[in-house]
Amino acid sequence: MALEFDRSIIGQIFDETAFPPVTKEEILEFAAALGETNPFYTDEAAAAKGPYGGLVAPPTLVTKLRAKKFTPEHLPKFGKVGFDGGRDLEIFAPVRPGDQLTMLSTIHDIYEKTGRTGSMYFIVIRNEVKNQNGERVALIDHRIMQR
Amino acid sequence: MARILDLHLHSEASDDSRAPVEAYLKWLARKRDERPLEGLVLTEHRQFNNAGDYRELEDKYGMLILKASEVETDYGHVLVYGVNDDILKRFDFKNVRLPAQEVITEVARMGGIAMPCHPGRPTIGLIEHYQKKPPIEGVVGVEALNGGSKKGENERVAGLVQAYGYHAFGGSDSHLVSFVGLCATEFDRDIKTIEDLVEALRAGGYRPVDFRAPRPQVPLTLEVSSHGSGI
Amino acid sequence: MNTLYFEDIEEGDELPSIDMFLSKDQVRQYARTAGMYVPRFTDDEGARAEGLPGMIAPGVMSMGLLARMISDWNPAALITRIGTTFRSPVLPERNVHLRGAVTQKIEADHTVECDIWMENDDGERWVIGTATAKVPSKG
Repeated sequence: MALEFDRSIIGQIFDETAFPPVTKEEILEFAAALGETNPFYTDEAAAAKGPYGGLVAPPTLVTKLRAKKFTPEHLPKFGKVGFDGGRDLEIFAPVRPGDQLTMLSTIHDIYEKTGRTGSMYFIVIRNEVKNQNGERVALIDHRIMQR
Repeated sequence: MARILDLHLHSEASDDSRAPVEAYLKWLARKRDERPLEGLVLTEHRQFNNAGDYRELEDKYGMLILKASEVETDYGHVLVYGVNDDILKRFDFKNVRLPAQEVITEVARMGGIAMPCHPGRPTIGLIEHYQKKPPIEGVVGVEALNGGSKKGENERVAGLVQAYGYHAFGGSDSHLVSFVGLCATEFDRDIKTIEDLVEALRAGGYRPVDFRAPRPQVPLTLEVSSHGSGI
Repeated sequence: MNTLYFEDIEEGDELPSIDMFLSKDQVRQYARTAGMYVPRFTDDEGARAEGLPGMIAPGVMSMGLLARMISDWNPAALITRIGTTFRSPVLPERNVHLRGAVTQKIEADHTVECDIWMENDDGERWVIGTATAKVPSKG
């Protein structure tokens, strides 16, 4: 299927989701699942004495945030199945227990290329994550590959 | 002046590479003993990087830097060397379904040379297409050694090269700084310009060279290191 | 804590690799904590129904493990950017090797650029990427 779609959807915010507060347990579980041993992510007492002044989440925790609408409603389906093609994450501020995060989603780009599994369509979703202080926490470019 | 060149790599100009050209050059300067390269050919995805000017870097690092492209066709991916305005006018490099036969024939007619890359790779390599379609006329050589290939993909190319009498060359297909020059091509003649390269590729007298370190033997299952979660 | 300072790091330094056996249970554990407890990440049959060879590890799990590799190397490193391309599905119940190297040192802001990747026993790279980390300076 050739790449045809309404280009006006590029850059438009299609979702805004507010998440329940991040908990200490969530941070510790996430760190454990990755085998993290860094005390900033695993040891509240040690982290309190460090540069963050408290427990913070490992940097990729924000990738678990899932928007209410993963893609815009009227986005054409370019392929039958979707896969995660890759993520680019920019981190501006740490995530702490109690943080109330919100995420805005836009379509950043859509393009096509061919690979070992055939024709692939990439939809790049840009997620902007902010905390309760209006501080930018992270910018995530999520390349969804459809084929 | 160069004899050993990496004929296939991507800089940050390619959408899926994060490697600045200068970082490639610094890495090669550091790894000169293991990877004795004298030149790089930047083969950016689906574009020709007209704006890229690497002459200062060439002087600073004493390396030849040439520009080329990797395009996508109905017979898989093809590297195009000697890209000029005529070629760019004739073919839209962003098209992922370029007609391979036309690309091979017309690029040659217009003064360049188009060579299929990673021919052993599923879907985007020549071998699979030759199993169900007639071979392309006018192919002079193929990339027999690609640094990004999976097990068996490079080995498969030997049969293709023998059957069709193709020349064979090598490239790293690097998308990251540290993978540059792991596979390359050694020429019998000196390459100073893109015209030299096109002529040399057409004529023969080159071969792939492999600078990858031999892989250590790894036991089937490893001892898990003792972190909290057992990872 | 084994802090590595900017002055102690050199371009070309290899990050200590993490060589591990990635089990299905570990993948399920990650999937659970990341709210991704869906068939493709937890169950072979469910994954096959989606055209996959079997259950796979989420791409972001590989990304998280690569971030951990940086943290293990230098707990004082503050990752400001990390980007990965998931080239092939990562099937569990096999060895994975997380590797990295420092490719650039930027004096102006004491950051380092690293190549990071995950490969199998045959050296095939399933995940490739780069990261930028700010590291402390001795002054």
